[in-house]
Amino acid sequence: MRTKQEDLIRYKDGNLYCELADIWIDPSKPVKKALITHAHFDHFTFGCEEYISTYDTAILLKERVGENIKIKTFDYGEEFKINGINISFHPSGHILGSSQIRFIFAEEKWLISGDFKLQKDETCKQYEIVKTDYLISECTFGLPIFKWDETKKVANDISKWISNSPEKTSLLFCYSLGKAQRLLNEIQQTNFKGNIYSHSSIYKMNNCYKELGIDIKDTIKIDNKKKIDELKGNLILLPPSLSKGSYLKNFKNIQTAFASGWMSIRALRKRSGYDKGFAISDHADWDGILEVVKKSEAKNVFFHHGDSEALSKYLVERESINVLLFSK
Amino acid sequence: MSLKKFSELFGDLDSINSTNNKIEVLKRYFLSNEPIDNAWAIYLLTGKSNKRFISGRYLKNLFSNIYEYPQWLIDTCYLKVGDSAEVITLLLKNKTISRNKKLSNISLDELLSKIIPDLSKLNEDEKNIQIKHIWEALPEENHLIFNKILTGTFRVGVSIGLITKSISKLINIDEEIISHRLMGNFKPSIDSYEFLINKSINNEELNSKPFPFLLANNFEDKIFKNSINDFQFEWKYDGIRMQLIKRSGNVSLWTRGQELVNESFPELVDKMSYIKDDFVLDGELLVWNFKEQVAFDFSFLQKRINRKSPTRSIQIKYPIIFIAYDLLEINGRDIREIKLENRRIELEKYYSKWQNKTENNITDILRICDLIYPIDWTDALTFKEKSRENNTEGLIIKNKTSPYTSGRKKGIWWKYKVDPMQLDAVLIYAKAGSGRRAGLYTDYSFALWKDQELIKFASAYSGLTNIEIKELDKWIRKNTIEKFGPVRSLKPEMVFEISFEKIQISKRHKSGIAVRFPRITKWRKDKKINDADSLENAYKLMSKIS
Repeated sequence: MRTKQEDLIRYKDGNLYCELADIWIDPSKPVKKALITHAHFDHFTFGCEEYISTYDTAILLKERVGENIKIKTFDYGEEFKINGINISFHPSGHILGSSQIRFIFAEEKWLISGDFKLQKDETCKQYEIVKTDYLISECTFGLPIFKWDETKKVANDISKWISNSPEKTSLLFCYSLGKAQRLLNEIQQTNFKGNIYSHSSIYKMNNCYKELGIDIKDTIKIDNKKKIDELKGNLILLPPSLSKGSYLKNFKNIQTAFASGWMSIRALRKRSGYDKGFAISDHADWDGILEVVKKSEAKNVFFHHGDSEALSKYLVERESINVLLFSK
Repeated sequence: MSLKKFSELFGDLDSINSTNNKIEVLKRYFLSNEPIDNAWAIYLLTGKSNKRFISGRYLKNLFSNIYEYPQWLIDTCYLKVGDSAEVITLLLKNKTISRNKKLSNISLDELLSKIIPDLSKLNEDEKNIQIKHIWEALPEENHLIFNKILTGTFRVGVSIGLITKSISKLINIDEEIISHRLMGNFKPSIDSYEFLINKSINNEELNSKPFPFLLANNFEDKIFKNSINDFQFEWKYDGIRMQLIKRSGNVSLWTRGQELVNESFPELVDKMSYIKDDFVLDGELLVWNFKEQVAFDFSFLQKRINRKSPTRSIQIKYPIIFIAYDLLEINGRDIREIKLENRRIELEKYYSKWQNKTENNITDILRICDLIYPIDWTDALTFKEKSRENNTEGLIIKNKTSPYTSGRKKGIWWKYKVDPMQLDAVLIYAKAGSGRRAGLYTDYSFALWKDQELIKFASAYSGLTNIEIKELDKWIRKNTIEKFGPVRSLKPEMVFEISFEKIQISKRHKSGIAVRFPRITKWRKDKKINDADSLENAYKLMSKIS
């Protein structure tokens, strides 16, 4: 029986840390060496001395942090060594470049899931099942009320939503990196034939995706000054931050929607202030988390990013899987 | 196809905020569906009957038993979702149910007039099996509607007014007529729908129905610019608004919620038969304190509202009175179009006739409201402040030249309520909300000081903005002392100004007092808990009033 101090990866100051390699995973404050699972803002911070990630993540990171950062890249599956620990990235299916990170030390395997999903997404590599002894998994949607519809159905719903209000401009709010590009890719396969506009912050990310060889529909760039209610019958993708504040008050002939996994709950939909919610997520739903836990064959599981109480209890009671808590 | 269409309608109405768009969607729905389904749709949307076939708890247990699902997991999900019907709908999605498509083309009518009522005829085991069958035979997108109807929790942001407007636009007939037709016991049937959209207006069938109620707006400062003589002033009673109708000798008593309540107040109905005239009176029903000649508190009225065929002793213990303040129809003549001051003259004229000519004294059960005559606006304010002394809530101000229209029209009636009583109290418990506020801590309990101890005195859940709710929710999660199920006890740190309408002695509460309509009116971030009020201050408020 090992004690907590000996855990290869543990929680330190609110971040995942591997002491043996003196390396942090997705740290929220500047550190010497940071492994980055993907380029969402809540998974990296400015000012680290050195970053390590996949190539695609590195490109996106540079777009966000600047060209001058020191960043080392590895391919999926390519092993590298730090202080005798074998480390490798594996696709996590969350967004372009996103990865799980596996550590192997003295025959013992640790896997950090990163943010992940199992659903098909043509804008990034499909989640890869990786076997491990210890699994550190996210559980953003760790309740059985979360069950994603097929992406195709959601895309059709969005297309219908736009065409049912031809006299209005449809504003779809979504995260500018990942979700927006996935939606573009899906919407171009529906019957929707109008124009799609992207807010400049999304447009920038679209270009990165294209440069990295991802096939997404061309969009027209707009900025905050555009009179968007004149674009009736068309679709505009905007980052959620613009839904707050006074920006929308300038426009009358619009309908708004938010694309997020949380929108599957009516109360949250109502509270969000958007007219409509489309439940589509780049995170795994309940079944997805369970599948990953089982297929990873992990004997011990840790959860972070989310309320894990119910999920843990379920795994212990129903699946006899050992769920551990990080010592803080 | 039609249940599917109704599910779509529900989804659309749920995600549209603009009234005009809702009306368009409803019109389109009515045009494209069978009359019987339209009748049911109206029935459901107006919440005419939210009959509960099974409880939310029952539904959750049932799901748990059928699918061997842990109860605690369902309960945890419930905290996030806040609605049993929706939790089960979402969980059903997660079950690979062996689907057959037997009910994929079911109509709304079949569901509501056959399938659901048939459930009540079964014993418990059969019922459970049948619900499982329905879940499996019903397309996924209809589960929410089905579960909500089962649990009597079907609600969507559509008012009767909105339905009225849609029908009115559909057939090009005045809203008042439609509103009239929709009042009372709307029974869903082809006939009732055909009657609703009938383009010719038939007076006879409208006979027992009340007129649409005229509602008061909140007081606006701009009224001060007008002459005091343009207005009629009345006390604002805290009773139940009703229309008392006698036509062709038949008496009917209608609440503003469009319920016929003759059975709850038989003594009033009986006495009306002594009056020779036919009439429609608008007024307030109260439980009356004959000794002091003031209304009893609303809590007395609650003892009468939901009780049908009250015994003689209940009638004596809680004596009711109808205070009429308007006459809308007299001997078949609709006088709603004439000026209020003239209607008042008619009201007084007929009332004095009834007082004198009726063999049986009716004055102990039917009165007309007294008018108040402030000499100027300052005087009006003084009256308002005195309203607590006679157990009223403030003043009703009415435009003397106004007709009796329907709804909350501007510039006709205003309510001018007395300022609430207020105390600063400390937040000590929070409970997760339900429905729209699921997953957030939105039900709060507040305490006052008694010596060195904080004693709970009121619970409130309204008054904070959404931003404040989120901020407070965060604080609550960080400052929890203990969790008891959905309730958390909190570090006493936050002070809030609590406003309420009434304060009275209560043996049921540890604090010894009960307040009516408590609500949060200010988050006193400027105050420390030692600045909060004491119970003694609350008692002082009470003695000030009585």
